Amino acid sequence: MGFTSAAEVVKYIGGIFEAAFQDDELSPKLRDTGVVLKFDLSDPETDLVVDMANGVVQEGEGNLTIGATMTMAADVANAYWQGKENLPLAMAKGKIKVSGEIATLLRVAPLSQKLFPTYIERLRRDGRDDLLVD
Amino acid sequence: MAITDAPTREFHPTRVTDLGFWARPFEEREAAFKTLRDEAPVSWHPPMEGGIMPSEQDGIWIVTRHEHITEVSKDPSRFCSGEGVQCEDVPQDLLLASHSFLALDAPRHGQLRRLVSAAFTPRQVRLISEQIADQARRIVDDLLDAGEGDFVELVSKRLPMWTVYEMMGLDPSLRDEAAHMADSMVAFNDVDVAAGREPGEMLNESLVGLLTMGLELAEHRRHHPADDLMTNLVEAEVDGERLSDDDIAAFFVLVSVAGNDTTRNTVSLATRALQEFPDQRAWLAEDFDGRITTATEEFVRWASPVMTFRRTATQDTELGGRSIAAGEWVAMMYASGNRDERVFDDPGTFDLSRKPNPHVGFGGGGPHFCMGHFVAKMQMREMFSQLLDRVPDLQVGEPEFVVGNFVRAVKAMPCSTT
Repeated sequence: MGFTSAAEVVKYIGGIFEAAFQDDELSPKLRDTGVVLKFDLSDPETDLVVDMANGVVQEGEGNLTIGATMTMAADVANAYWQGKENLPLAMAKGKIKVSGEIATLLRVAPLSQKLFPTYIERLRRDGRDDLLVD
Repeated sequence: MAITDAPTREFHPTRVTDLGFWARPFEEREAAFKTLRDEAPVSWHPPMEGGIMPSEQDGIWIVTRHEHITEVSKDPSRFCSGEGVQCEDVPQDLLLASHSFLALDAPRHGQLRRLVSAAFTPRQVRLISEQIADQARRIVDDLLDAGEGDFVELVSKRLPMWTVYEMMGLDPSLRDEAAHMADSMVAFNDVDVAAGREPGEMLNESLVGLLTMGLELAEHRRHHPADDLMTNLVEAEVDGERLSDDDIAAFFVLVSVAGNDTTRNTVSLATRALQEFPDQRAWLAEDFDGRITTATEEFVRWASPVMTFRRTATQDTELGGRSIAAGEWVAMMYASGNRDERVFDDPGTFDLSRKPNPHVGFGGGGPHFCMGHFVAKMQMREMFSQLLDRVPDLQVGEPEFVVGNFVRAVKAMPCSTT
């Protein structure tokens, strides 16, 4: 199984950033990047937008100007935040595509990786063993 | 007994971690390292400047004496590689995808290294040796045809690129692009090379490009085996274990970088040294076959093409009388170790007959000792055999260097053959 709806993707993948904005150490670093990052996810189709400067996670672009976009399947995103996808290798295989302010995006990626354990813990807590990647 | 460091440990006043230091000439840097070797062989400094993300370290230990470099190298249980080997922070993803076993610890390091070693069969090594002899001959043919130009472009850049990618079995039409990306992987701190791009972007673009090539070549060789190293890598098996495509792609990146820049710069710097010290050149030419093995060690010591590698302390420990806390970074200054007067008589003298020559140019020993050292030595032998024999009037000008703390890279060096 995997994500079944866009709402679920926003809840879990978006939830990673919501947790990050609550984190005293990570939040200022993410906000400093100032970027509006869009996750263009498929299966299910989801436009997840994270406004780093304002600490906002939302579905759809609204009136925000997108700085960088990461395109991937929702199950790749799920695996990525569990530390099971290597970003450069996934890019080389075409599983993750990036566009826009790539340098900024590359600064955000390692920061968000600090949330791997939190994300895995949340899936466990919610009984979403179906989303856990071995 | 270790000196107990106060909680607010002071930085050593000799500055060796800012970019400005690494932009200075080698001789000036060596003067600073000599001060450190004499007065503070293991010293605490601000984090290394440059790189692609802000450092999370409070500082970095700089190790300048030969004895401490070898102590760190040979004790991976105290000083590990798994948390990175360069002096700047690199995202973990990038590290895994680009460093292969260079940035791994036991037991995975040994497993991977054994698998890659298995690909270097005696037959493959013989083939590589024949290829190198042919490459060196053809490069010098072209140099003589050109008559003058940039020695780096005409000679030193061509050999390692040709060796590595012919050995791997990469299609000749892709080799220039691969070598360009390999260059960008180490030169991202150099303003000229970066040409306006941010270091992280440049590094990532090159890395992804090389990984793509490695993945595609591995896939191709699985279905179309050939007489090359990539075929051996996809087929290698040790104790029932094989290399994954990701492992092979990361190794392809490692060999592209480690095999490219090291030999290139040693060829450039040794060529320059042979001109500056004509008596040494004459001594070598007198009995080339009998002396090149010894001379090559001095080429590597003299050039010290890899200037630094870093380890991370796995535990609270002591080095050179200083207390190092678990998690702190320890950087080995190989160029300094190779000029350590405690080990080398007249370290500032280019002496091709130097023996023993326990330089740390291939690393300070231990499990991470340069795996490709035998390929590098074959390259030196063939290249200098050709140059000394066929280009007796070779003249090279002042080398121009890339700014950075990792590879002592010569960007350009004018030359003429008459």
